[in-house]
Amino acid sequence: MERFEVLDIAGDVGLKVYGGDERELFVHAALGMYSLVASAEGILEDREVTVSVKSGSLEGLLVSWLNELIFHFDAYGFIGKRIEITRFVSPLAVSSGGAGTASEGDFLLEASVFGETFDPIRHEGKLLIKAATYHRLSIRREGQHWEAVVIFDI
Amino acid sequence: MAVENVKRIDPSRIEVPLDYKPGMKVRGVIYVDEVLEQDLEPQSIDQVANVAMLPGIVQSSLAMPDIHTGYGFAIGGVAAFDVREGIISPGGVGYDINCGVRLLKSNLTKGDVAPVIKDLVAALQTNIPSGVGSKGRIRLDAGNEKKLLIKGARWAVEQGFGHAEDLERTESGGCLDGADPSLISAKAYERGRAQQGTLGSGNHFLEIQFVDEVYDESAANALGLFEHQITVMIHTGSRGFGHQVCTDFLEVMEKAVSRYKIELPDRELACAPFGSPEAENYLAAMQAAANYAWANRQCIMHWVREVFGSIFRMSPAQLGMQLVYDVAHNIAKIEEHVVNGRKTKLIVHRKGATRAFPPGHPELPDIYKPLGQPVLIPGDMGRASFVLLGTEKAMKETFGSTCHGAGRVLSRHQAIRKAKGRAIWREMEDRGIIVRSAGRETLAEEMSEAYKDVSHVVDVVHNAGISRKVARLRPMGVVKG
Repeated sequence: MERFEVLDIAGDVGLKVYGGDERELFVHAALGMYSLVASAEGILEDREVTVSVKSGSLEGLLVSWLNELIFHFDAYGFIGKRIEITRFVSPLAVSSGGAGTASEGDFLLEASVFGETFDPIRHEGKLLIKAATYHRLSIRREGQHWEAVVIFDI
Repeated sequence: MAVENVKRIDPSRIEVPLDYKPGMKVRGVIYVDEVLEQDLEPQSIDQVANVAMLPGIVQSSLAMPDIHTGYGFAIGGVAAFDVREGIISPGGVGYDINCGVRLLKSNLTKGDVAPVIKDLVAALQTNIPSGVGSKGRIRLDAGNEKKLLIKGARWAVEQGFGHAEDLERTESGGCLDGADPSLISAKAYERGRAQQGTLGSGNHFLEIQFVDEVYDESAANALGLFEHQITVMIHTGSRGFGHQVCTDFLEVMEKAVSRYKIELPDRELACAPFGSPEAENYLAAMQAAANYAWANRQCIMHWVREVFGSIFRMSPAQLGMQLVYDVAHNIAKIEEHVVNGRKTKLIVHRKGATRAFPPGHPELPDIYKPLGQPVLIPGDMGRASFVLLGTEKAMKETFGSTCHGAGRVLSRHQAIRKAKGRAIWREMEDRGIIVRSAGRETLAEEMSEAYKDVSHVVDVVHNAGISRKVARLRPMGVVKG
């Protein structure tokens, strides 16, 4: 199955992301974002970065997760190739997809990201992403099929 | 196709009336002629109307002819709020806080530079870091980064990047006073550490240009501009530092909206009442990011001067490489304006709009008081850029604001598709423009056809009287990120 597709928007760029569950959706969103930043070719799994994010909503968690990865790229040049989610807490998963009234910090994600430091000589840089935004942000679930839309400011 | 439910006021403006959407406190006014009206995105008009619903907005929700859909607020938008009852919103400034433009002049002419243009462009690309994942030449330790955030361009001058006289030729002297480094997150510090003195990517650029047309001889003279003269334009902002400040405070504002029970038509307009702790903190952090950007453009300008000096084997002073002016086009500032006949303190948001103060304004340096504020409008890499001056009419109609650039017409992928099989750099070279870019796709995304014709945008603001044309600049050499 397709993991993600790039959405074409004047001025910005977005992703439509697919996944069989929430974890897969979040992994595919991150890999989709990395594909916008640089060509995946030649990126090695040299280093591991651990990431932990929290939010009051699943959508907020997705934005925080992607912004955390943007931070690691922009501050330290770290670009990921493979992602293992080590902990995922989502009240939605327990209450079988109901919207619920989750309070802040209820949604939590911890992950190990394997990759290396971007090297402008060896790697091909693409877009400089400033941030993941709440613009048109959505996460939908139909049975075992999860779909998210996220737009980046570039 | 004319847009529905909007009314044409005059050849340069349309009105988004109060009944366009329920909840509008003021009308919207968009500066477009009949031709640019055809390009208006319905969503961007909606955004102008949404901003008109925000608490404390005064006069009208404005947009410039280079309007397009943005994050909550349209790009090209100008909105002013009464400090006593209004709000401040990070979405009204944008992610790239104090993205802006500076223009350097020289005593060189087109004929002097043409034979060495390739060397110049190559040397600029080598000496000024640009592109995705590039690192700057400056490493800031925590102490220095804090000083920079407080002092702005003055920090750069104190480090030996340029001269004190550059500061008076910079909007706000290159420094906003209220910056508070204690409000900056550890992440913003980390992102800012290695990005001072870098150009970035996307639409940011460094351009060697020549003056190809002068519209107002005496104003051009007063600015020290003449036909065939070489100028250099620098377009960049606060880099990852500013992006992180915006990201951090959008989260703060999300909470403020529910805390202060502000009703919003769109969550992207997240804001806080002016004077609240959230608003004060954002303002002070945004001012720090603005200062980061002014220092950034100051450092880059210094290296541009050095590159010219080494290619022409003369000092930058001998080459007459003097700053004309530096403007911010993504910023919120506290200013005094006349509203309903009374002087009122406002927080003016300019998101993709340039300040355009008239002659005599107290915030202008003495050298420009008789003239009005220089306004710098960058175009796309193939067409032209413009120098304008601020006017009294801008002060009356637009809180002393005008347009900021061309505005995109093609999405990035449309542009890439259109450029498929073409060598954009070769097409540009055939037209006498040498272009170098770090990223392969950047040139396709940034090609001329992807943008509105900046000349048309500038004509609208000129004809509307909210700024007046002085000179047109044509690119000869371009460095893209």
